[in-house]
Amino acid sequence: MQIVDTKGQQCPAPLIATKRALKEAHTGESFQIITDNLTSFNNISRFLKDNKTEFSSGESNGVWTLTITKKTSEPVTAEPEKYCAGKIPLFTMGDFVIAFTSDKMGDGDEELGHLLMSNFIKAIKDLDILPRKMVFYNKGVTLGAVESPVIDHLKEIEKMGVTMLLCATCVKYYSLEEKINIGTLSNMFEIAQIMASASNVVKP
Amino acid sequence: MKTDLLQMVESGGCSAKISPQLLEEFLRYLPLPQDPNVLVDIDTHDDAGVYRVNDDLALVFTTDFFPPVCSDPYEFGQIAAANSISDVYAMGGTPVIALNIMMFPASKLPMEAYSEILKGGSDIAEQAGVRIIGGHTIDDFPPKYGLAVVGYIHPDKIITNAGARPGDLLILTKPLGTGVILAGQRMKMASEDDVDQAKKLMKILNGPGAEVMKKYNIKGATDITGYGLAGHALKMAKASSVSLELNLAKVPLIGSTYRLVDEGCIPGASFRNLDFVENDSHLRPDLNYSLKMIAMDAQTSGGLLMCVKPDISDQVISDLQKAGHEQSAVIGKVTEKGDKFLYLK
Repeated sequence: MQIVDTKGQQCPAPLIATKRALKEAHTGESFQIITDNLTSFNNISRFLKDNKTEFSSGESNGVWTLTITKKTSEPVTAEPEKYCAGKIPLFTMGDFVIAFTSDKMGDGDEELGHLLMSNFIKAIKDLDILPRKMVFYNKGVTLGAVESPVIDHLKEIEKMGVTMLLCATCVKYYSLEEKINIGTLSNMFEIAQIMASASNVVKP
Repeated sequence: MKTDLLQMVESGGCSAKISPQLLEEFLRYLPLPQDPNVLVDIDTHDDAGVYRVNDDLALVFTTDFFPPVCSDPYEFGQIAAANSISDVYAMGGTPVIALNIMMFPASKLPMEAYSEILKGGSDIAEQAGVRIIGGHTIDDFPPKYGLAVVGYIHPDKIITNAGARPGDLLILTKPLGTGVILAGQRMKMASEDDVDQAKKLMKILNGPGAEVMKKYNIKGATDITGYGLAGHALKMAKASSVSLELNLAKVPLIGSTYRLVDEGCIPGASFRNLDFVENDSHLRPDLNYSLKMIAMDAQTSGGLLMCVKPDISDQVISDLQKAGHEQSAVIGKVTEKGDKFLYLK
């Protein structure tokens, strides 16, 4: 069993270590977190309870040991993107999909195209009805990279509950594997299926 | 030698506040002053006390001080001063004079750091038009700094946390996340950009926001500090005998706040605040955990949370943005008192 010793570490370091271990563990796997900080112990316990994760704990001489088992349905760690998307249905979702095929909007001057795309993405946040999904392919995937000027807006839209799918082949083609900061990677079959089944596909 | 104040503390800024639950429990036994001139006291847990001098003038009086929130002594002074003065603005007052409150380990730290902290405080005070006319220093470790501030206000124009009315929309003037980002900085998880953004926000005075409140005759507001958005919203709901509904997905956040919380970077103060609010709150069962914990995040020098009639909310937002509070947003509404004081969704 993996043991993560966080003795000597202050809040919130032990909690971060717990979250990390939980993410890396396989379903059904158990691991131990050791802390000598009572506040951290209480906070980790609270965090686990809130997230319905099973654990047991014991104390000796001011050192607490938590034995944690990763359950089958671990919503927070399993697929955080899906969790966020599925769990905040606060905004009205329309039955339409936005397809990003380029990092620019429209044909014409390059600089203007970038500016328009950025404005378009910002405007999505203010729509009365949000798209159910957003797909990104070809140069469109670069919008989702860390250095993209619109990355914060896209993250915000994702947080509002919009599922984002990026073409994995395209991400690989532009060598962005390490840089994509939103959504999940997907294949052409899934992307085709999503576009074919939506009642409307919007292409900026 | 450059002094790094951050190395000296586990929880900085308003995270270092005593648990709100504990405070509420013990303040109950403290006799309240029986004086008709005391217009606002600790009864409603407001941002500051208010005392009527005559029919046209009342004094807003408040203090706040805390351990370092950043490495640089000058910046710490700026942030602590902005935070202290903010309480006067939250009541709709005009801050006029202040006293320095300082705890400083003279034998452990170079005295340059001491004067840098005071310089930071005095520069922000000057920006707010506040005269610092004295102060008090105790030899203590780690350092702590803040101001006691006096402001003027018209006795009939006090903005309190008891002024929320059903139907009002809630506008927040600064994004959340200072507690998370500061913890993330200690954990080396926050980027330089996140930290710069947080520090910049903490130095921004709420004065322009207060001017907008006065212009639109807003009656209910509070500033968001150590008890987090949820804690201060709860205090407001209780003081006003209404319920507050917060739409957490609408709350603007600083930089990587969401990612940091999602990775477990949740400061201890958030759990303290969660303990404080949960009995009086209805948390939607499917509420995103990270967003919930961000609502509990202790803010240092946070923004104003104001109650605004829906028909003027667009104008108020536009005025706030023009006045420098660019990220002002409607984040919820006030309703008739329901089963719980606070509804988080």
